[in-house]
Amino acid sequence: MKILVAVDRSSYSAYAVEEAARLARNTLANVTLLGVLSPKEARKNHHDPASVAWGPSHPLAKALGQYRESFLSYFEEKDSPYLNREFDYELIEVAKGVWQELGVCRSARKSLKVRTRLGNPVKQILAEAEEDESDLIIVGCSEQKQCFWEGDANVPERLANGAACSVLVVKEERNVRKIVCCLDQDKTSQESLEMINQMVSIHHADLEVIGMSDGEGLKSEVERKMNSILKYYLDRQINPQIKVVPLSSLEEFISKEARQDLMALWMGKKSVLENVLPWTKVKRVIKASHSSVLILR
Amino acid sequence: MLKTLVSLNADLASSIALRYACRMGTMVKMTLQTIHVEDPAAAGHPPGTGWVRRTWEKSLLKAGEDEIAQLIQAERPSCPPLALTKILIGDPEEEILRELERESYDLFIEGELYSFSSASFYKKMRSRLYKDAFCPVILVKNLMEMGRIAVLLADDMNPSGVVKTFLKIFNGGVFDVDLLYYRVQQSGGQTLHNQEHAESVLSSARNLLVEGGRVPREGRVIQDSPEKLSDLFKDYGLVVSSINDLADKKSHMMELLHRIPSPILFCPR
Repeated sequence: MKILVAVDRSSYSAYAVEEAARLARNTLANVTLLGVLSPKEARKNHHDPASVAWGPSHPLAKALGQYRESFLSYFEEKDSPYLNREFDYELIEVAKGVWQELGVCRSARKSLKVRTRLGNPVKQILAEAEEDESDLIIVGCSEQKQCFWEGDANVPERLANGAACSVLVVKEERNVRKIVCCLDQDKTSQESLEMINQMVSIHHADLEVIGMSDGEGLKSEVERKMNSILKYYLDRQINPQIKVVPLSSLEEFISKEARQDLMALWMGKKSVLENVLPWTKVKRVIKASHSSVLILR
Repeated sequence: MLKTLVSLNADLASSIALRYACRMGTMVKMTLQTIHVEDPAAAGHPPGTGWVRRTWEKSLLKAGEDEIAQLIQAERPSCPPLALTKILIGDPEEEILRELERESYDLFIEGELYSFSSASFYKKMRSRLYKDAFCPVILVKNLMEMGRIAVLLADDMNPSGVVKTFLKIFNGGVFDVDLLYYRVQQSGGQTLHNQEHAESVLSSARNLLVEGGRVPREGRVIQDSPEKLSDLFKDYGLVVSSINDLADKKSHMMELLHRIPSPILFCPR
């Protein structure tokens, strides 16, 4: 799994890093911490003596360094998959029946990259996700100011809309007690189910799986798929609750549930949710929710 | 030994109900008999009369039998070997009521998916099956762990009937039991009975439980909107209650029962 964590210097980014670390601990993911710098920010402002040109002492570079340390602190040093091992001597069989002590350096099993890109935040984050073939983008935002991102308020929702992969918008620290999944039972991918499984595990949260009905109950093929989703989670010792929501009430349901619980919405290609929940409404969910929102693809 | 009838259809709600019944069977001494009633009305008008109709009904029964056999086969890993499913044709409610009476079952179990919309739940509560059943009925909305059971009492309910039904079914078995009394708020925030009344009902229900060999873990009065209270029940494997004289779909008790995600055991009126 590849996780891209988009950060800035605000406190909500620390929560995004924390969430990424929890997820990475369970999935042994390759992780990239990405900061984006506007061209203006990269230059020293001669009218502002406090400003610093891009380099190691730039506030964003310092923040990225702190996030890296914070991320690594979630792993015991001896077991950390992200640390390069020092040189050591090991007995290696160099030919049949011949052993030799060789100096060996074991590299980290998983990569942790810390990168900075220059340009428009949304474009640069999406470009990084595409180039790195990320499976998940994690981005924080402030809860108080309707999912605000410093410098460009709409970054989280535009990432959630524009990304080809799943996006987790992390609100400032909040206990996730329940994860409510609106899945398109016909098309939901195995990776999405696994992602939810991970989120349930790291938060010790309850899971509610929503079946969408057309008003006359669930269609038989939807029931079959729901049954296999139920079995999938029961096999993993997760006891999900099933709830049926008529498509006509879906918006009302989501706006109520999203206030408190982590809402996971499957918005893959040809998803039935795409028809019922146009992007303007999903945007509203991201902004209004007090808890994190996971857009699955 | 609790004689239990489980209604099955070829759907998710029935899969969940069957799994729940099997889980319950590991904790309570019970026999499980499954039943499927093929509703000819749901399959459209019968073609003609005489042998044409009989052939059509036979093919309906065969189709129902095959579907239920598949469902039971799928649930085999989580269930003990089950007796042959009774496959009947007719109005499902009528046939199930007749079967419950004929074979004197102690308990009836069926599934109904937990829904955001209340319409199907209210329809079920108004049905003959729930009004006239001779034995307690468990409506399984979700598959829950059976470790904790709530006995939910309310104004206008016969608490001793509810507690005695609970004791009869769960004689033995290791569960935690909580006693809850729901003080139903009328419009304008008024309650039918005062706190003292609620406390005294709880106290007598507690005494009955203790006499029956069950010491409740806690007993308390709850009073809030059904929406807020529903979350309280999410960790219960079963909620034992009754719909005595509460069939008014606008009542808060009815709304609370709709919003409870756990299986509910309805004691006979």
